[in-house]
Amino acid sequence: MVGTAAILGDNPRVMASAADDPSAGPKGPLPNIGAGGLIRPPGALPEKEFRAKCISCGVCANVCHVMKYDAIAIAGFTPPSPPLAKGGIGGVLNYGTPYIKDMRDFPCGLCMECPKHCPTGALQKVEKENTAMGIALIDFGLCFGWNGDVCLSCSKACPMGAKVFDFYNGEWGNQPYINDNCVGCGLCVKYCPLGGSAIKVITKKQYETVKSSYVSGFKKLMSMPNEERYNIVYSQNLPNIMERGKLVEREYR
Amino acid sequence: MSYWLKDGEDVKPDTPDPHPLLSKGGLRGGVSELKILNFKLRLSRLRRYVLFSITILFLLQFLRIKVLVGGPTASLAFWSINLINVFAFFESFAASKSITMQALTGVLPVAGIYLIFGRAFCGWCCPMDFLFEMVDKIRIQKTGDRRQNVRPLLNSPLDKGRHSGIIGYGIAAGLLAVSAILGVPFFTRYLSHLTNFFMVFNSSVFLALDLPVSKTVLIYSGSALLSLLLLEYFAPRLWCKILCPVGITYGLFNKLSLLKLRFKEGNCGECNLCEQVCYMDVKITHHLDQPGLRDTNCIYCGRCVEGCGTKGKLVSMSLRAHK
Repeated sequence: MVGTAAILGDNPRVMASAADDPSAGPKGPLPNIGAGGLIRPPGALPEKEFRAKCISCGVCANVCHVMKYDAIAIAGFTPPSPPLAKGGIGGVLNYGTPYIKDMRDFPCGLCMECPKHCPTGALQKVEKENTAMGIALIDFGLCFGWNGDVCLSCSKACPMGAKVFDFYNGEWGNQPYINDNCVGCGLCVKYCPLGGSAIKVITKKQYETVKSSYVSGFKKLMSMPNEERYNIVYSQNLPNIMERGKLVEREYR
Repeated sequence: MSYWLKDGEDVKPDTPDPHPLLSKGGLRGGVSELKILNFKLRLSRLRRYVLFSITILFLLQFLRIKVLVGGPTASLAFWSINLINVFAFFESFAASKSITMQALTGVLPVAGIYLIFGRAFCGWCCPMDFLFEMVDKIRIQKTGDRRQNVRPLLNSPLDKGRHSGIIGYGIAAGLLAVSAILGVPFFTRYLSHLTNFFMVFNSSVFLALDLPVSKTVLIYSGSALLSLLLLEYFAPRLWCKILCPVGITYGLFNKLSLLKLRFKEGNCGECNLCEQVCYMDVKITHHLDQPGLRDTNCIYCGRCVEGCGTKGKLVSMSLRAHK
């Protein structure tokens, strides 16, 4: 089945704990999604060099606070998730390094101040357009736009606009699709009206491993006969969306 | 025991009373002058004022005032000047085996400051100095032993005077090697008192402001800090003297710094008070015949200046030589 599972989990408590544990991956049709690597602040060097350079001074996190975004948090010890387990002690090596903790509450505002002020050069100055923090993926099973509505909140929130979003108008709504130009700031995640957001940002590296299955799922959905689509939307997706609607009551800060 | 300096606070600058150290008659013979100089007495307080103003400057960042953003390991002054701890700079360099312009521009102002003030960071800016002093007070209350220089490792190879310095350099070099092998700035990330203090400080403020915080950070850094305080209780200033590579690195600046402990001619009653009040076990009286003291362990806390039986007539801290 395509796009039927919740990317983020099922209830607010599970979601909260998933947010605490940045490497935890929910189960679903998109395997290991969200696992494997933290979303780094903009301009971060490749993971290994970044960990070597970063001295846990916290300047980026506090600069982010001063800029009123509060997106950057300091990573604690995390239990090694499957992709990291191969590398051994990823959760320990990531201790003390900055990452974007929860984009549902505090997305990156792309002010580009943290790379400017990083004292070690672990974050390198970068143009807003060339930032590659990660990529946002829409869960087609939860997105209003893919299930008979016209919402497009994500594209309105996106600071990159038409460069990132492709739209597929059709009988099932104005279906948004986020392409590879996404910088991963997570503003769409925050402004998605679905409870707990239908969008999840994953690292570019992680995206490489799930890209084929995600894109094939997208293509399958696009070429799906109407009756089959009708069944999926009404028997699975809409109940899921209704269920997630209850999560709107989740306290947003 | 009347030799031990109480805090100067309870001595009013203008009172004709003799210094509490001397009032009980231990030392009268050797010391001719008892006059108390205002500014000398205030040195230990001034030190605290400096530390608290730095803390307040760091607190201003949570009100989104861009004066001093970051923590003691590295910070951003006035939103334009990067400052980075010298040892952290070396460790980051060792771990990544490459150097960046940002790091260089960050370390140069810091190196400049400490070329002037030597290891004054430890005595005047390091938050642990204050916390350790609190622990010292508790220990003195509990044990009644006022000595700063309790030698926990007496007769061990760690405490053979000269050797302790070498061991310190060995530890610092070892940590750099570990960083290079692991590919992470090992000390600065996991062990550094500065990082852990910052993590506790920052995480608690963020927690209070309901901002994203990983609780494991708070727990780990809090316990690391507590174990340092425990170490201080049982082995006073062992951390500062031997183990802390940050201090050892700044100690190297003492060899070149403008600020020095200086001695005036004569007047020394050889009461040894200065050495007994010294946190850092500096052999002050061994240097009396020299114009200044260049010990890598001196943190310019000024306790010897205050504690000196001649009350500032002999030992002083200054940037320029006496005329």
